[in-house]
Amino acid sequence: MAHAIETHGLTRRFDGRVAVEGLSLSVEAGTVFGFLGPNGAGKTTTVRMLAALIAPSDGDAIVAGHALGVDDTALRRAVGILTEQPGLYDRLSARQNLRYFARLYDLEPARADAQVERYLHLLELWDRRDEPVGTFSKGMRQKLAIARALLHEPAIVFLDEPTAALDPEAARTVRDFVKGLRAEGRTIFLTTHNLPEADELCDSIGIFQRRLLRMGSPAELRAGLFGAGTIVRVVGDAARLVPVARSLPFVRDARADGETLTLQLDDPDSRNPDLVDALRAAGARIRYVERLQHSLEDVYLRLVGGRS
Amino acid sequence: MKKALIVLEKEWLELRLQPMLLLATLFLPPLITLIAILGFFAVGKFTASTIGSAAPLPPEFTSLSPLEIGQAIVGRQFSTLFLLLPIFIPSVLASYAIVGEKRERTLEPVLATPIRTWELLLGKMLAALLPALAITIASATLFIGGILAFAVSNRVRDMIVTPGWILAVIVDTPLLALIGVALIVVLSSRVNDPRTAQQISAVLVVPILGLLFGQLAGVVVLGPAVALGIGAVLTVIAAGALWFATRLFQREVILTRWR
Repeated sequence: MAHAIETHGLTRRFDGRVAVEGLSLSVEAGTVFGFLGPNGAGKTTTVRMLAALIAPSDGDAIVAGHALGVDDTALRRAVGILTEQPGLYDRLSARQNLRYFARLYDLEPARADAQVERYLHLLELWDRRDEPVGTFSKGMRQKLAIARALLHEPAIVFLDEPTAALDPEAARTVRDFVKGLRAEGRTIFLTTHNLPEADELCDSIGIFQRRLLRMGSPAELRAGLFGAGTIVRVVGDAARLVPVARSLPFVRDARADGETLTLQLDDPDSRNPDLVDALRAAGARIRYVERLQHSLEDVYLRLVGGRS
Repeated sequence: MKKALIVLEKEWLELRLQPMLLLATLFLPPLITLIAILGFFAVGKFTASTIGSAAPLPPEFTSLSPLEIGQAIVGRQFSTLFLLLPIFIPSVLASYAIVGEKRERTLEPVLATPIRTWELLLGKMLAALLPALAITIASATLFIGGILAFAVSNRVRDMIVTPGWILAVIVDTPLLALIGVALIVVLSSRVNDPRTAQQISAVLVVPILGLLFGQLAGVVVLGPAVALGIGAVLTVIAAGALWFATRLFQREVILTRWR
C-alpha cells in the first residue's frame, strides 16, 4: 500500500530547544494514524510541519506526494487541517465562514457553494447555516471546523484533538464522521489524548514525546510491551497457586491478588489447557479463565509515564 | 492577487457586521468636516475685530482683515485634519483585521490554506487602506467645497486650499495611511488587543501636530516643495515599515513568535 505520509529524520528546533527530534515514520494511505503524546510533546509542531505551516530545521517529508519545502502551496491544497482551536469568525454565519475558506482553497464560487451546502448537511448544521458562529455551542463549532478542513476534499486530513471538550454525543458524532472519512479512502492523521478513542479509530499509532517512542497497530503495541497473558479467577486465595504456576515451563510470570491469578505466558491459546490441568491438579477450583487485556492506556503510560 | 481580493471581501463583510465600528470610522470624518465647515462659516460671520491682535500671527496674515484672519486660522487648523484621518482610520480597521484575527485564533486555519502570506497581508492592508483613503478624499473634497462656498474672500480660500495642501492630501495621506497600517502589523506581533495597537500607533500623529503648530507659528509653510519633501521622507519610511511588516507577517513568524 502507498504511503500518504513519509518522514525521515524530521527535526524542529526553536531557539536551540528541540521540539521534534529525528521523526521518521510512514503512514499508509487510507488509514487512520493516531499520534499520541503528552502536552508539550511536539505533536502540534509535527502537524504544523507536515501541513507546511512551519519549516523543519532538519530532515524531510513527503506528504500527499509533495516534498516539504518544494511546493508548499500545492501541499497545503492537498491536505486539510483541523487546528487545535476551531478558529472561526464569530460574527460571520456558518455558511459565510465556510464559503470564505472554500474560496481560499481555490474552489470556484459555484463549487464552493455546493461543497458548503454538502458539508453543512453532513454535519447537521444546515438548519443553523445563516446564524452567527458566535452563537454556536462548542460541539457545533468543532463540527464546523471539521467541515472547513474537508471542503476541498483533501486526500489527507490532520485532526488535532477533534473531540477535546466535546460532550459524549458530539464526540460520538465526530468519531463516526472520522470512520466515514476512512471509509471514503482518506488518510487521517489524528492527534488525541483520548486513548480509548485512539484504540477505537486508529489502524496504527505512534507514541511520541519529542521523538517517536514506539509505533505499530494497537494490538502490536500491546503485545510488544506486555506479551500475552491469562487471568484465572479461582475459589479462595490464589496466592497458594503462584508457586505451582511458576513451576510450569511456559509461564514467565505469575502474580496473585485475592482470588485472581494473573499469568504471563508464551502462547495462551495452546498453553491454557495445560495451565488449567496443572492448577486443578493442585486443588484449584476455577471460576473463570480470561484473556489478559492491556489497554492502550497501559501501553501509553508504560512508554510515556516514566518520562514525563 | 485573487485571494487578496477574497480576503478583502471577507474583511469588509465583517466590517459591515460591526455597525458601531463602521459608524465610528467611516461617518465620523464627514461629520467632523461638516463641523469644520460650520465653524469656518460662523467665524466668517461673527469674528471679533480684535482677533488680529490676540496672538502673534504668521507673516502672510498681516495684510488680512480680522474676518479673513479668523477664517484662515480655523480653515488651516481643520485642513491638517486630513493628514490625521489617514492615520486614524486605517489603524482602527487594520487593528481589528489583524490583532482581532490573532486574538480569535483564526490566523492558523487561514495560513493552512494555499494562500500566500503576501496575498493575506495585501488583502488586509487594502481592506483598511481603501476605505480610509476614500473617506479622507471624500471629506477633503467636501471641505474644499465648504471653503469655496463660505470663504469671505479669495485671499482666505487661497490661504487654505493651497497647492501644497492639495499635494499633501494626494501624495502624503496614502503614505501616512500605509505607514499606519504597517505599524499595526508590526504591533500585532506583540499585542493582543486592537485598542492597544491603536493607541501605540497614535504616536504617528505627533509629527502631523508638529506640522500644524509649525504652520500656525509661521515656522513651516506647507508649499508644494514641502509637501513633496514630506512625501519623499514618508516614502522612505513607508518602504522601511512595509519591509519590516512583511518580515513579521510570515507564516512561520506568526505561528511561532506572535503571542
